[in-house]
Amino acid sequence: MITIEELRKTYHMGDIEVKALDGVTLEIEKGEFLGIMGASGSGKTTLLHMLGLLDEPSSGKITIDGIDIAKLNDYEKTQFRLYKLGYVFQDYALVPDLTVMENVSLPAMLRQDRTDEQSRAGSFEVLQKIGLCDRRDHLPRELSGGQQQRVSIARAMVNKPDILFADEPCANLDSENSRMVLDLFKEINEEMQQTIVMVSHEEWHTEYFHRIVKLKDGKVFSDGINGSVTQ
Amino acid sequence: MGKKELKVAFLLALRSLQRGSRSSVILTVLIIGMCFTNMIFLPSLLNGIGQSITKQIVDYEVSNVLVDPKTGNQYVTDLGATLDLINGMPGVERATPHYYKPATLKYRQRVLDVSVRAIKPNDEKMVSPLYTKMIAGSYLGDGDTGEVIIGKPVAGDSSVRREDEFQPSLGGVRVGDSITIEYGNGYTKDYRVKGIFSTGWYEADNTVYVSWTDMELVNGKPLDQARSITVKAKPGYSEKFIKNELQQYGVSQRVQTTSELLSKSMGKSLQSFAIINMVSLIVSILITTVVLFIVITIKTINSRKQIGILKAIGVDKEVIMHNYGFQVIILGILGIVLGILLTLVLSVYMAYNPIVTPDWSATLYITPMDLFINSLILFVAAIVAGYVPAYQISREDIQTAMRS
Repeated sequence: MITIEELRKTYHMGDIEVKALDGVTLEIEKGEFLGIMGASGSGKTTLLHMLGLLDEPSSGKITIDGIDIAKLNDYEKTQFRLYKLGYVFQDYALVPDLTVMENVSLPAMLRQDRTDEQSRAGSFEVLQKIGLCDRRDHLPRELSGGQQQRVSIARAMVNKPDILFADEPCANLDSENSRMVLDLFKEINEEMQQTIVMVSHEEWHTEYFHRIVKLKDGKVFSDGINGSVTQ
Repeated sequence: MGKKELKVAFLLALRSLQRGSRSSVILTVLIIGMCFTNMIFLPSLLNGIGQSITKQIVDYEVSNVLVDPKTGNQYVTDLGATLDLINGMPGVERATPHYYKPATLKYRQRVLDVSVRAIKPNDEKMVSPLYTKMIAGSYLGDGDTGEVIIGKPVAGDSSVRREDEFQPSLGGVRVGDSITIEYGNGYTKDYRVKGIFSTGWYEADNTVYVSWTDMELVNGKPLDQARSITVKAKPGYSEKFIKNELQQYGVSQRVQTTSELLSKSMGKSLQSFAIINMVSLIVSILITTVVLFIVITIKTINSRKQIGILKAIGVDKEVIMHNYGFQVIILGILGIVLGILLTLVLSVYMAYNPIVTPDWSATLYITPMDLFINSLILFVAAIVAGYVPAYQISREDIQTAMRS
């Protein structure tokens, strides 16, 4: 479970102060497929980065499974990201020099509680799930955008994270591939009770989300299912 | 930093080199290889020149130990007894005397001032390889009189005009020809040229050798004195040991080892060589360090976003740093191996095509220790050059890296 209390993030651009997040308070339950939506500059990516331990808030508190993440040091945050979180980026962000299998295996190889054999087996399993086993020896540049994004999802899933964060994963995909990716998220969420927090600005994506949080000017504008606003 | 992290760092490094820009890898390896060759070439050449000069001096001038008169004396006197004493010492292969006389050679219209050196030919054979350097005719015998052996530059070449000669010569003397030697004491005698030699050592090649017996005739009395005695050590005996022996056995002349003579005569040259070597070494290390620093800096700058992504998915900054470190280590090893190969190829080439001057001929003188030390220096420089930018970039925060 994720608890966010009065989260603020302020950027200083010369003399100008930009409030990217302005007092966001939220709770995300385990197994939720949460969509964070809003216009460009509303603070949705900033919020995702805070939750994913990629950035630090100016004030406020984030607790994940009872752990106050502000109290973690640099190394502990790295380990937390490795073991507890998965991340899917807008531009896939695969390592171009690694094959599909190597990209997916990378986080698994770093886990101290898994042997190399277990890492390989886990990577193979997740590749099978996304249907790209036959492309495992290919380099990312040899794949289509949709395939690359599926590999990116496989990489995020290989360590069986508690929470999966996705930052506009369909932004660079056509509608067919976007649906394929969203179907995959839905499947993962339903079959594995995987908590997924996804940023999107596409209205049609809402059909996949259990819950939608809309941000506006760094504040929660609405929070609910199918437009049922609770805040 | 555990085994798993190192394994991942190595995998990232290896794949980056295998599947990244091939031309960048090849160029970097080539530059390191060239720097290694540059580091080792000049010192090896200077060492080769030094070795060549040392060998020539040992072979044709002083052997391992030189006995010459004490200051104020012109000759080593009581020669017979002194030679018997030295030749009877343990560790001495042979001692042989040298006696010089300035003279003028005359052949047809040519006149040439040279030094005539009297030797005991059979003893000389045990000390100097001169007898193996005959290019025409034959070497002297102990009892030879009225016969000389002369160096190739002294004999000259009849096909070369006098004005085109590199140095004055007798204009093409051949074995069997008769030449006249006019000694400084006024004694004049005709000699038959018994042999012509070429050692490659300027001093020796410009010398005329006669037998000790002949010089006694020139002097008109038995010769019981010498300008110097050269002493050859048996294998396994050091020059220092022989010198100590000579002094302990009561040889009252001045006794000097080859090393001592060389450090006196070539001390300044060796210092200059050392300075040139040091400058060459520092320049090569600087070039390698700067090149690798630039290569890794460019790599890291181009990969900043990827570094941010790796950190975001839970890859530790140490893994990222060692990734670039391993890349430099691999590039360094490949560069050094290429450098060693280039050096060996050059070494073989120069063994067949030495640099030849009238004074010496030199090849590359490289020892395994030279290769090891230069490899180590370059390797350390490469690691420093690679790890500095890798360390800096790995410390960058995720947001800054990902936004780049």
